[in-house]
Amino acid sequence: MAAPQPSFNPKKLWKNFHETYSQVIDGEWDIFMPQQAAGLTVADLRETTAQFQKLIADAKQRGLKARAIGSSWSLSKAPTTNGWTFNTNRLRGRLKVKAADVDPAYPGTADQKSGLYLFQCGNTVADVNKALENDSQKRALFTSGAANGQTIVGATQCGTHGSALEFGALHDHIVALHLITTADKHYWIERASRPVLAQPWVDSLGATLKRNDDLFNAAVVSFGSFGIVGAVVIETAPRYLLETRPTTAKLNESLWKAIGALDFSVPPFNGDKPYFFQAVINPSTDDVLIMANYRKDGPDTFQPNYDLVSPAKSIGPGFDALSTLGVILDAFQGVIPAFSKLAAKQLFDTTPKRGTPGMIYGFKPPLLHVASGSIAVALPDARRTLETMIQLYKDIGPVPLVFGCRYVRKSPALLAFNRFPIGLMISIDGVDNATSRAFFAAAADRVEAAGITFTQHWGKTNSYTPQRLAKAYGGNVQKWLDARRTLIPAAADRALFDNDYIRERGLAG
Amino acid sequence: MLKRAIAALAMAATTSGCMQYLVQPPQPSLAGTPQTVEANGYLGGKVQQPGYITAERCQNGEQLARVLVKRNFWQGFVNWITLGMVGPATVEYSCANAGEPPMGGGSD
Repeated sequence: MAAPQPSFNPKKLWKNFHETYSQVIDGEWDIFMPQQAAGLTVADLRETTAQFQKLIADAKQRGLKARAIGSSWSLSKAPTTNGWTFNTNRLRGRLKVKAADVDPAYPGTADQKSGLYLFQCGNTVADVNKALENDSQKRALFTSGAANGQTIVGATQCGTHGSALEFGALHDHIVALHLITTADKHYWIERASRPVLAQPWVDSLGATLKRNDDLFNAAVVSFGSFGIVGAVVIETAPRYLLETRPTTAKLNESLWKAIGALDFSVPPFNGDKPYFFQAVINPSTDDVLIMANYRKDGPDTFQPNYDLVSPAKSIGPGFDALSTLGVILDAFQGVIPAFSKLAAKQLFDTTPKRGTPGMIYGFKPPLLHVASGSIAVALPDARRTLETMIQLYKDIGPVPLVFGCRYVRKSPALLAFNRFPIGLMISIDGVDNATSRAFFAAAADRVEAAGITFTQHWGKTNSYTPQRLAKAYGGNVQKWLDARRTLIPAAADRALFDNDYIRERGLAG
Repeated sequence: MLKRAIAALAMAATTSGCMQYLVQPPQPSLAGTPQTVEANGYLGGKVQQPGYITAERCQNGEQLARVLVKRNFWQGFVNWITLGMVGPATVEYSCANAGEPPMGGGSD
């Protein structure tokens, strides 16, 4: 059945999901997917591609810029445009790649071959988890972000880093992507070193096949600047469970061994290395919330339950509580340590749990006006970086922020946030107010002044400059620019997807 | 000290009369972006303008994923000064993706 036609809404103000900023736009288009009684087909993908290409042509003809928008989850202005936005979060088709459609040269194992899935761009991380983990598939993502509301394409385009100790970023699941660049061109892009879909399948989509490591590694983290990513193919793991062992501790020399060097011989791990490890340091109290999750094989009959339930008669922060709290904490900085303790008690669940990754990193109570920025450094620089940040915290005074420490492997993406062989990703999270913004403004400067090489999360508050990009990524920046010019040769076509965010970072044009 | 007193007073003034409450399902799946509608209740809500709100952006059979009813300081002030005769509010709704699309591809 044909898809409904895109529907225009002359909306002029777009806000990101957490309402930390707004953007003037020239209207939004809602894109719908065809009714799929038997699931997504290549014909559906062709139809959606044609709709996108017509919208791109119309935008170009009117001299407008345009961008695809997923869940609007990004705290940075990476996804913004002052032209048309294309709402993609209804495009939730998914299909299991048939063995017959896999290229004979695909180098993956038999298990990897049987666990290839195509997801359209509008599937959220929650959608992907639910689609994979159910009884009919019994698969799972290797790693995940802390949240599940982002679309799989939105999260990966912004380089979401993941959280498993032995895996890279969320985008490292992706082995092929469908990129719609202009009114008359769309590509199916894979690494030459890892071909996935056979040529006849790509031909049936009507896309131009590009197998090139640099093109793929550029496009997979490109903030929507390469065009519209219509769908991605991901590799998955057999379904597994995570057993959480949350606990709290004081930041002492013993715990620094784990936080600063991933030495799990110390308490509370006592030699038991987790699959996922997160330490949240509260610099105002030296309290550390430890989340250690252990990978377990679950019973085959395990039934995931993803429901977010508000406990009866419980008291908690309202949807917009942080906007008021931010003002209070700006005026009464002295109460921040007490507030932090209260917030930790409220938000950190110390009850051990057991569930699929989609359950553990599941739905959370929604909150507006959160503040979040992340800095990544190589593991050998971990302790020095954290001590630098803690000193900055003390210099500025109590700030309603905590430091979440997670550890991941390097990604091959050219502009990956996961830049180091083993990286510490410091997630600076809390309340969006003047004090926390002052902290974000100073954090990168302070780490830079300490002579530490670092990267920043593209989808969160960051202070990247062309100079910082050059320092962090070296020649990869030029490779990324070259890839963009290869895939979108005409300057006018590239300009359609330009925005201030990439222009300020020297990535436009 | 003066800064704090002013902040406290400003906080008390700007939050009095304000309210908001969010309703959503246990597994929200949002379709499109949130849409905002200004509404007025009269005589304690016995008369409404509009009489009811149609979620016009929810198309092709979509239902609602989220409804947020909120009242800012000015809306609260008007409600207070008119003793509830006029009650302006802002309604924000998000459409819902219905159900889980089936997995395509099948087996071979």
